[in-house]
Amino acid sequence: MRSVFCAALLMLAVRAEVPYERLVNASSEPQNWLTYHGDYGGVRHRELDQINTANVKDLRLEWLFQVPKSGRFETVPLVVDGVMYFTAPEGHAFAVDARSGRELWRRRHRIPENALLVGGSINRGFAVLGGRLYMATPEGRLLCLDSRNGEELWDVEVGPWQKGFGATSAPLAVKDKLIIGVAGGEYGVRGYLDAYDAATGKRVWRWYSIPGKGEPGNETWSGDSWLRGGAPPWMTGTYDPQLGLLYWGIGNPAPDLDGDVRKGDNLYSSSIVALDANTGKLVWHYQTMPHDTHDWDAAQTPMLADLDWKGQPRKLLFQGNRNGFFYVLDRVTGKFLMAKAFARQNWSRGFDETGRPIYEASIDPTPDGNRICPGLAGGANWMAPAFNPQLKTFYLQYFEECHTYYSMPQQFKEGKPYWGGTYQSIENERKWGNVKALDPFTGEAKWSFEFNKPSWVGTLSTSGGLLFTGDDDGYLVALDARSGKLLWKINTGASMATAPITYMVKGKQYLTMASGGALLTFALP
Amino acid sequence: MKLLWALAPLLVTAQTISKPPVAPGRSIYLSNCSLCHGATGEGGRGPNLSSGTPVHGTTDADLRRVISKGVSGTPMPSFRFEGSEMAQLLGYLRSLRTTRVAVEKAPGDAASGHVIYEKLRCNACHRIDKSGSVYGPDLSRVGAGRSLAYLRESIVNPSADVPPVYRGVAVTAADGSRVTGIRVNEDSFSLQLRNIAQQFVLFDKSEIKEMGERKESLMPPYSNLTPKELDDLVSYLASLRGAITKQGVKKGVEVR
Repeated sequence: MRSVFCAALLMLAVRAEVPYERLVNASSEPQNWLTYHGDYGGVRHRELDQINTANVKDLRLEWLFQVPKSGRFETVPLVVDGVMYFTAPEGHAFAVDARSGRELWRRRHRIPENALLVGGSINRGFAVLGGRLYMATPEGRLLCLDSRNGEELWDVEVGPWQKGFGATSAPLAVKDKLIIGVAGGEYGVRGYLDAYDAATGKRVWRWYSIPGKGEPGNETWSGDSWLRGGAPPWMTGTYDPQLGLLYWGIGNPAPDLDGDVRKGDNLYSSSIVALDANTGKLVWHYQTMPHDTHDWDAAQTPMLADLDWKGQPRKLLFQGNRNGFFYVLDRVTGKFLMAKAFARQNWSRGFDETGRPIYEASIDPTPDGNRICPGLAGGANWMAPAFNPQLKTFYLQYFEECHTYYSMPQQFKEGKPYWGGTYQSIENERKWGNVKALDPFTGEAKWSFEFNKPSWVGTLSTSGGLLFTGDDDGYLVALDARSGKLLWKINTGASMATAPITYMVKGKQYLTMASGGALLTFALP
Repeated sequence: MKLLWALAPLLVTAQTISKPPVAPGRSIYLSNCSLCHGATGEGGRGPNLSSGTPVHGTTDADLRRVISKGVSGTPMPSFRFEGSEMAQLLGYLRSLRTTRVAVEKAPGDAASGHVIYEKLRCNACHRIDKSGSVYGPDLSRVGAGRSLAYLRESIVNPSADVPPVYRGVAVTAADGSRVTGIRVNEDSFSLQLRNIAQQFVLFDKSEIKEMGERKESLMPPYSNLTPKELDDLVSYLASLRGAITKQGVKKGVEVR
């Protein structure tokens, strides 16, 4: 008995570490949630079926944890062997018992009082590697915490807030590095993606998302507009360990709505890029919006899936884009395979054979306003998509709305918003939130589910035949993944702006979602 | 696209010449604030800045604090403006507040207007301070937030501008019964109305056969008033500015 007890203790001690190999095989540990997307491919599907279409109606609140600050609580928690780690706005970080919600430790990073916070005070979550946790701070730093007690081990600058940089995304741990991009596309920064040494915090490489003078692509920016062209990789990307490639969605060009001061395609703004994870060198790119003027970045999850495409096994990349189109690319070469609109759109006439969009005659914002669909926030945005491999179905939530876009010449000033225009909702035109199940081979909708309002909630797929998502009114719902039928709902009492996760501890499956200023966890009775 | 680029500078020049110059604070506002607070301060992702009582205060010091520090726990970020920019922005924000229209001189007699208000039983739908119905808009500060022309039009042709929150919703329930009321709340699965008797009428959407928003105002047009009666009633409404407490904060519910 004693030896069994010791063995169990030892196993627990070993399991608390998360080496790179565990991240590579994260999907084979459905009981845990080890990265922001839950897996390197951004698939957000879990082989857990204790909660399923038959019993999800009985799902009930198991525990809730209140964080000190309310507001946009955009975290996606990590779960490592029964311990949940999560961040909250204003530099907060917590570890709790994933079964009870009881606190194990809490930490707070003090944000300088006078700092400009380009994305507000939000944070989207941790990365874990070894026995360490990594988080961005809204004023543009990367922190390393000891997962045993939350102690800060190092703290490095990713981008100076004084120049309009910030960082809100969860870092991505790859091998011995942490990959993180900057925010600041509305402040005329020059975007970049960085890799930091996990042990020391020393920067290993930096890839500028806007090529410098003399580099290929710099000629796609008129004059010196590339110096303040935005294009920040502000969300968390994905990674293919076999190919050694990082996939990242790049932000919009700056100024957002006035393209006259930055003529040209503006590479690599509004693009999906593949980078060598070891060196940060660009391998391929696909630009979804050459010379974008609608804040339609390509920061949405570049999801990785291996499927037969027209009878041939192929390594694919899916993205539901802010511009309202679902894209399929070959992720080895970047070759464009298909694009199909999932939202109302009036900007694209189609695509040429290289996948370059053919624009309608007049899509740019004007001084007197131009009605274009989708709206400024999309289409899709950072709400997480999901993919059910059994059903071969891609799920996303997006905004069905249009806006009137206005352009306005604006002088650039460092550290100041640089929109170059504005937008307005269109009165008496219906807008709503939509969840769609897409056939990834055709882009056609298998079903759709409407919410009353456009909503910032992502999706989660499980082998229980369920799709979890929610809405801006605070409803967390379970839909039948096959039909879109509503199977369970609860009013969480506050709007939500992240995506649910699921995990298992000691044979019991849980569902966790941040809402308002609380982290809510549900389970079957 | 190339052709458009070639033409665009010409178009912009033409627009710039034909338009009157705008206050410098306006461009600062449009490029920094309007995405959340609306192009004319009407609100959107952020609060309405053109009417109502700002939660964080009304003085320049209050505004300066909110702008430079942001609002903790909300998407309102901190902004850093140079002194001159801040002054221009504050000036523009002040100009957005429609309370400035209250200096207009009303032509009629407010006391007589009050009598007409009582006679027409306006309080069956509206309220002033704590007296009257909660069905329609609160008028306690309507004089501080609306122009005389707007007040006049609201009486004779209320459908000319119906604030979204006071648009009538007509529901036919599954059992065939019909209800018309003001939408107190609605989400993906439920609808909450208030009827003219000031009762809540609550629906699960599965209980609703049909629902639609009325284009016309729920308020009938009062087009048969004499010009004198109309002047008096407008004068009375224009005199409603809410109470001022010792702290200098105006009481009264937000005028919508």
